[in-house]
Amino acid sequence: MMLDINKIREDFTFLRSGRIYLDSTATSLTPEPVLKKVLEYYREYRANVGRGIYNTAQTATSAYENARAEVAKLINAKPEEIIFVRNTTEATNLVANGLKFQEGEKIVTTILEHHSNYIVWLRVKNTKKLELSVVQSDREGHLSPSDFAAHIDRRTKLVAVTHTSNVLGVRPPIKEIVKLAHEQGSLVLVDGAQSVPHTKVDVKELGCDFLAFSGHKMCGPTGVGALYIKEDLQASVEPLCIGGGSIDDVGIDYYRLRGGPNKYEAGTPPIAEAIGMGAAATYLMNIGMDNIEDHERKLTRRMLQGLANIEGISLYGPKDAEKRAGIISFNLKGMNPHDVAVALDTTSGVMVRSGHHCALPLHKHVLNAPNGSVRASVYLYNNYDDVDVFLDTLAEISKTLM
Amino acid sequence: MKTLYDYYRLFPHTDCGYCGSTSCLTMLRRYCLGKSDLNSCIYFKSGELPSPKISYSPPHLKEPPTEKISYIRPCPSEPTKVTIEVNVLPQTHSPYGYFDMITADSIFDRQIPNLKISPSLGIVRIESEAGDVMVFSEGKVIIRRGADEKRAFWEISRAVRLLWATVNRKIRAESAH
Ligand SMILES: Cc1ncc(COP(=O)(O)O)c(C=O)c1O
Ligand code: SF4
Repeated sequence: MMLDINKIREDFTFLRSGRIYLDSTATSLTPEPVLKKVLEYYREYRANVGRGIYNTAQTATSAYENARAEVAKLINAKPEEIIFVRNTTEATNLVANGLKFQEGEKIVTTILEHHSNYIVWLRVKNTKKLELSVVQSDREGHLSPSDFAAHIDRRTKLVAVTHTSNVLGVRPPIKEIVKLAHEQGSLVLVDGAQSVPHTKVDVKELGCDFLAFSGHKMCGPTGVGALYIKEDLQASVEPLCIGGGSIDDVGIDYYRLRGGPNKYEAGTPPIAEAIGMGAAATYLMNIGMDNIEDHERKLTRRMLQGLANIEGISLYGPKDAEKRAGIISFNLKGMNPHDVAVALDTTSGVMVRSGHHCALPLHKHVLNAPNGSVRASVYLYNNYDDVDVFLDTLAEISKTLM
Repeated sequence: MKTLYDYYRLFPHTDCGYCGSTSCLTMLRRYCLGKSDLNSCIYFKSGELPSPKISYSPPHLKEPPTEKISYIRPCPSEPTKVTIEVNVLPQTHSPYGYFDMITADSIFDRQIPNLKISPSLGIVRIESEAGDVMVFSEGKVIIRRGADEKRAFWEISRAVRLLWATVNRKIRAESAH
């Protein structure tokens, strides 16, 4: 099925100004139906959740729990397996601090990772005296199962790997990695920040133990994200914070935590934001994740073709649109990536990201681009015109300023 | 809202130079400035391509810049160096901003090493040991990799003084009328 892009674009009021937004990897835009749900909570049934007995408090609690179910459905999990957190970063920190690591155990991660799924492991490595093993990729960012097989062993407690690189758009083979890890008795955390918003993710099919993602990258509000923890693991993962809302019983010298997601959601949660994230999940499911992925692939193909014809471009990652998501990083010869981004914005209102995109190890050690890169990324609301204006302007920058 | 590039797409894209501009995009920008005629393009003149109807106003016109230092920060990729953004003057003289990069192109054309002018984009880039400067036609000036704050400001002022020539020329041309 084709997406009705014009209709979708109407939902995103941000686009009415004519600006061209190619930075959805950093954060996505928010459609009206999501905003409406968020405001509805504030306007019509604002109350704390899981506490009051009065009717409105029950309404708020149901809306909050319904949002959990909507988010669960998006990744084919059970609602009890979804924990609302602030963002992907808080989710990885929760796992890093909540797993009971023993001295000498090993964590395996990769050179592709975002700092949020990298420095957290460096920290626990130091505090808990663990070993951290970093799987290297080739120049294009490809990782094969055999690369992991060499690192995962009986001592490996956790494998933390991205589902989609936020720089190169490549997708490591998660299913195979999970199989290798489980054979050795290790757990797998998948950083889904860039996959859940853009493609169909099914935790049952992937088999992973944890999946972290952010609401703000999937058309939801800022300030909320989700961590999937496989149900039977929840007893062995400690919460990051404890307090009101997360206990069954408290005495003068003891407390007993609740089971289920509430254990991890101490204090008043971001209620409106969670409701918004649920609405965003439903918004995406209504459009269809496969349709979104197809649409992005078409735009990516156009972008890659266009970039191939511009002089002086170093493109990072695979040249083939089938092998990557709609995230494209590059440099123009001799130009600072920030200058390229400012020129695109000032002359054509094209917004792209520049810098190291929170992936310094990748830029330094794989891409050999210590100054970072320019990154253009697409989402369901982008169209061919957006890509063309970006390419035309970039071609002109290359021709006149490089 | 239409961007300049929406119109550019209706141009021949040959950059043949027949019209006297260095590229089709320069030609389009000159046309928007009232400095050229669509019929100077061989494709439009011959009717091989339909002449586009153009009504374009540059995005920065909506918010005229004010004179200010926007930021002084360590360079993101080289924290020992400095990056500065300033706006030199509110645009007053032309709908296309303060500095006229088309005039700049004709004055400086390849005469100064490490200076690149894009009349089509309205940007000048100057690279030097002391930092890399970009000047935008509407008056925004950015320096990256500035050796230190003092030298960075000196480089900014050097670039601005250089481009003052284009402002002077424009003022003189206007007062001659
Ligand atoms: C792959 C990846 N992981 C983690 C994050 C961190 O997400 P957040 O800033 O929402 O915590 C990002 C965001 O840029 C990302 O792209
Ligand atoms: S004459 Fe026409 S085709 Fe040739 S450069 Fe000028 S605008 Fe482009």
